[in-house]
Amino acid sequence: MSFIARISQRSPWLYRINAGSCNGCDVELATTACIPRYDVERLGCQYCGSPKHADIVLITGPLTLRVKDKVLRLYEEIPDPKVTVAVGICPISGGVFRNSYAVAGAIDRYLPVDVNVPGCPPRPQAIIEGIAKAIDVWRERL
Amino acid sequence: MNMLMLLLRNLARGPSTDAFPFGDTFTPERLRGRIRFDPELCTGCRLCAHVCAGDAIHFDETDEGLRFTLWHNTCTFCGLCEHYCQTKAIHLTDDWHLAHLQQDKYAMIEQGVVAPAACAGCGCRMTAPVPALTALAYRAGNRRIEHLQTLCPDCRRKAGVTGGRS
Repeated sequence: MSFIARISQRSPWLYRINAGSCNGCDVELATTACIPRYDVERLGCQYCGSPKHADIVLITGPLTLRVKDKVLRLYEEIPDPKVTVAVGICPISGGVFRNSYAVAGAIDRYLPVDVNVPGCPPRPQAIIEGIAKAIDVWRERL
Repeated sequence: MNMLMLLLRNLARGPSTDAFPFGDTFTPERLRGRIRFDPELCTGCRLCAHVCAGDAIHFDETDEGLRFTLWHNTCTFCGLCEHYCQTKAIHLTDDWHLAHLQQDKYAMIEQGVVAPAACAGCGCRMTAPVPALTALAYRAGNRRIEHLQTLCPDCRRKAGVTGGRS
């Protein structure tokens, strides 16, 4: 394993995409990152502002038609290997918005999803558990 | 001085970070998590499927009986199904360990089959009312009610008209 792969497996950077979420899951993601009680950075993760730096992508929201193209474009910008985590029931199945005319539906129809964290919204510990699972996937991919 | 006291107190308290995922965490007493279904208590009224906001609950008739299926990946954990279930066949546990890999996506279900009963009148297949439901409807049961419980809706109607002298 190369030197870069060895060090980068200890610090996957997180990137958050809001695919038309109600903000519930985003608040929980912010809680997981910013509040000392949960502190996701203990796992070596850090939120980054640019998709070009991302390793683990957290997607919230039911993928509304309005943001669908933008989300897919953003996803393409993230370099491989990447791990995708669907946070909340909306990206997993469409949730309560399933079958709506304004919603493109489950995100795994368009992107390869690796980990699902159901909940409406999931509690911070459940998100941390999902990110821990994503890090395991990330280590295998490197 | 005040700040010094605060510093000392925080030093004595130790870190406030939750140990999870490296250690244990707390679970609130009334947390709504993974759903459990008890087919012994279900009467098949399907009110849970009717009130379900995420359309997570489905009933279908199988050879073994009425099958209840709940998919956790579209459940909002609102608890309406538990609230409206008269016999409390649905229960929301405090298990929140629901994060899973993509290959388990469609395995995140809770399933149960309500065993069918045979009608004492015509012998047809039916979903029998459970004792918990009749205990709710009639505080003290009597022999007539116990007899009506064993009948299918058609036979029950006939028995109601004829006063049980069918």
